[in-house]
Amino acid sequence: MAEVTWRNYLENKHSRPAPLKGIKVLEACTIILGPAGPSFLAKLGAEVVKCEFPPLGDTSRNLIPFGDYFREQGTGFVHANQNKYWMGLDLHKPEAQEIYRQLAAQADIVEENMRPGVLEKWNVGYRQLKEINPGLIYLAKNGFGQWGQYAEENRPSNDGASQAFAGFAWLSSQPGQRPLKSRLYICDNFGALLGEVAVMAALRHRRRTGKGQYIELSQTESIIRSMSWVWPYQQMTGKMAMPAGNRDLCVSPADTFRCRDDRFVAIGAALPDDFKGLCSAMGRPELAEDPKFKNHLDRLRDENTLELLDIISKWVRGKTPEEIERLAEKHGFAATRVQSIKDIVDDRHWRERGTMAYVDDPMLGPFYEFDFPVLMSKTPPKVRWSVRAIGFDNEYVLTHKLGKNKEQIRKLYERGAIGRWADMISRRPPEDWDGETGVIMSRGAANPPGKGK
Amino acid sequence: MAQQSAAEWFRERDDPAIAHTKPEALDDITVLDLSYNSYAGAFCTSLLAEFGAEVIKIEPPGGDFMRTCTPYGIQHQGVGLNYLTEGRNKFHVTLDLQKEEARKILEKMVAQADVLVETFTPGVMDGWGIGYEQLKEINPRLIFASITPFGQFGPKSKSKMSDYDNIIQARSGMHYATGEILPEGKTLDEMPWAIPTKSGPWIGATPAGAFMATGIMAALYWRDASGEGQALDCATSEAYASFDDWAYQWYQETGRVAERFGNLDIAGWLYCFAPTKDGAVFLGALRLEQWQAFVDMLGKWDEWGAAEWKEMAPFMAEDQQIKWADLCFAETRKYTNRELVDMSVEYSKKGRLAPIAPVVAPIGNPMDTLEDPNWNDRGLFTPVDDPVYGPVVLAQAQYKLTETPPRTKWVCRPVGYDNGFVYLKYLSYGPEKLKKLKEAGVI
Repeated sequence: MAEVTWRNYLENKHSRPAPLKGIKVLEACTIILGPAGPSFLAKLGAEVVKCEFPPLGDTSRNLIPFGDYFREQGTGFVHANQNKYWMGLDLHKPEAQEIYRQLAAQADIVEENMRPGVLEKWNVGYRQLKEINPGLIYLAKNGFGQWGQYAEENRPSNDGASQAFAGFAWLSSQPGQRPLKSRLYICDNFGALLGEVAVMAALRHRRRTGKGQYIELSQTESIIRSMSWVWPYQQMTGKMAMPAGNRDLCVSPADTFRCRDDRFVAIGAALPDDFKGLCSAMGRPELAEDPKFKNHLDRLRDENTLELLDIISKWVRGKTPEEIERLAEKHGFAATRVQSIKDIVDDRHWRERGTMAYVDDPMLGPFYEFDFPVLMSKTPPKVRWSVRAIGFDNEYVLTHKLGKNKEQIRKLYERGAIGRWADMISRRPPEDWDGETGVIMSRGAANPPGKGK
Repeated sequence: MAQQSAAEWFRERDDPAIAHTKPEALDDITVLDLSYNSYAGAFCTSLLAEFGAEVIKIEPPGGDFMRTCTPYGIQHQGVGLNYLTEGRNKFHVTLDLQKEEARKILEKMVAQADVLVETFTPGVMDGWGIGYEQLKEINPRLIFASITPFGQFGPKSKSKMSDYDNIIQARSGMHYATGEILPEGKTLDEMPWAIPTKSGPWIGATPAGAFMATGIMAALYWRDASGEGQALDCATSEAYASFDDWAYQWYQETGRVAERFGNLDIAGWLYCFAPTKDGAVFLGALRLEQWQAFVDMLGKWDEWGAAEWKEMAPFMAEDQQIKWADLCFAETRKYTNRELVDMSVEYSKKGRLAPIAPVVAPIGNPMDTLEDPNWNDRGLFTPVDDPVYGPVVLAQAQYKLTETPPRTKWVCRPVGYDNGFVYLKYLSYGPEKLKKLKEAGVI
């Protein structure tokens, strides 16, 4: 039956509406914590206008793995910024503040991750915007929130600081070794996602009551929320939660093991049938009946788990990850090789589901991009286009959304209220761009947003 | 506006201490949570329950296996700590879906519900006659949300493997590329810790829950306009992997696969953990001026020629990162965590490039976090005084809202605790009927 529901999902994706059609989002966001949130909404169909300071724009345009650009753009910039319209707006200038206010007046949602008080100083903080748009939902994101000791100290933050500060990195290490930073910008991305959970609840409240509201999101508080058992454990035992490497302290057995070829495989086998399956795969069915291991709660005791993990690791050492995966399917437990990014990007499964979506971008060319990872049978999320240079859509937004004419737009450029990209790699369009493809409003006009300045 | 600081103004309106005086955004929504041994499922419905949804957690009569998933096997009054923290604001009932009569009861509940969350292997609910295609006949407005290891369709969706956090992390590409580098010439026997390393407690499973909560509310928003429900499909490792910001394009563009890079960052400089006299700190300076400010703060402005630097890109190369990390760490080792933090605060006030300054954050342990007055002041760890479990500390108030703040009203319930209330409320089943259902093993 599930086949009926999901038949031809990918093929039909674009003959179905988007769930957030009609929702307008204005963003003044940088790095990942800020822009990733509106990007989720944009994949769900919201119209997002992103404002950057010309000519350098978003700092995450600097994220280039070992110096490698992606189609001449910041490699780490692409992901958090799909389906957006691109404004270059210098909010230091009163004329730019006025543009921002006009956009906010039309918006359903405003999102920003400036330091507390910065936008208010420029006359476009929440308390000013709600006067012109009382239904506005306003999400302010940062490291420490808007009030409290750290907010008052105006401490800067970012993902790595948050991993460090929450105790998350400290817990994510091998026993006795130094704390490890996740390869992932987890506090940025998870914080951004929780911010949208709150925004969606606020949107529903607004539909019911007409009322907007203010939301503050701290990335450190977000990651703290994810750390589940750690807090009651420390409260109840008075002991500090300790790192355990790849072993899951709450699931037994669950760990990562070294294989014959020095690659790694993760195994999880805690449910009664899974544990029996693993024991039979190891040719040790009697372990499943051993009083030390029979019940999960007994098995979880430190000495019992360690004994069991030792047995498993010796068994795995003689096998390859693929052999363990096959045995897992056959005997009924969970196992996977520790997959690299190559395993994911090249996986037919992800592509056929459209979670690794094919994007044919007018400026960057074709590539595979993560779509919003909740597939919706009647209102599928969609990645449509990728990043643009700073101010690329100035003309479109000002003409189409605000009804400005050519002369007014020219003056805004002249005053420096709006602007475009710096003539440097990662800021300008790719070298092979024809100066037209992707431009919405002013193609061939007197002042086209062509290459460079 | 001028008399009162912005901080005071916002606190007056969104302090979690006054959350109970405000309305709830989802208090007209009923959610049936059939998730089993799934932190993703439990986390998803917790997020909805914190906004006031009536979440009915349906367990088999023996209870959800997740009640036993707890560090070292420690339980609090018979319940494991993960289930305890994500039992919040939910009603806990039992129903043995293996039995025909139980499925009839579920159908009656579905007719009155808005959302159903389930985590069974694809096809199991269909086989029981309570899959999406069957239930939508009973309730076309139903939002049917499935969270599974591989999703509802695609070549791997036939797998019957169970879902565990460590498996999600290993499938997602994150586990592979996090951890210490094994230096050339060294072996794993010499450095057994220099291996792919997973992160955090159950951070692999949590994103799927949060994504699904977002998807459910998007589906509710669309239903409010169209009147139609729908099916939602989330694969746990796809959700976690989709947080990747650069490795997937890097691989597509250059063929290079992200490998472990210790506490440096392949895509960012300056962005690392650095050793200090008494521990380690995080250092962040992604913009040129911030990186220059950091060098200046260390007193190396002239010696290292910082005034001449024009852009960040040259510092990003692998060998350059390693070279500059060595230089920087030799300096940071001279100071304590506290001294480095103070130096950055001081620099932001009086430095050559002030207010530009690097981000310096001490690497804390989770007990520091729990005891930190800042988080306690912000309502993160306010104990919930639960009628059954007593005062319990769990993380809450992770976002603050002025009109419809989240809140934790109670913590959890024992197995079947709410059978009496829920089945009376939705089905008018009194003690007599419940007794019969219990005898038949249905609840």
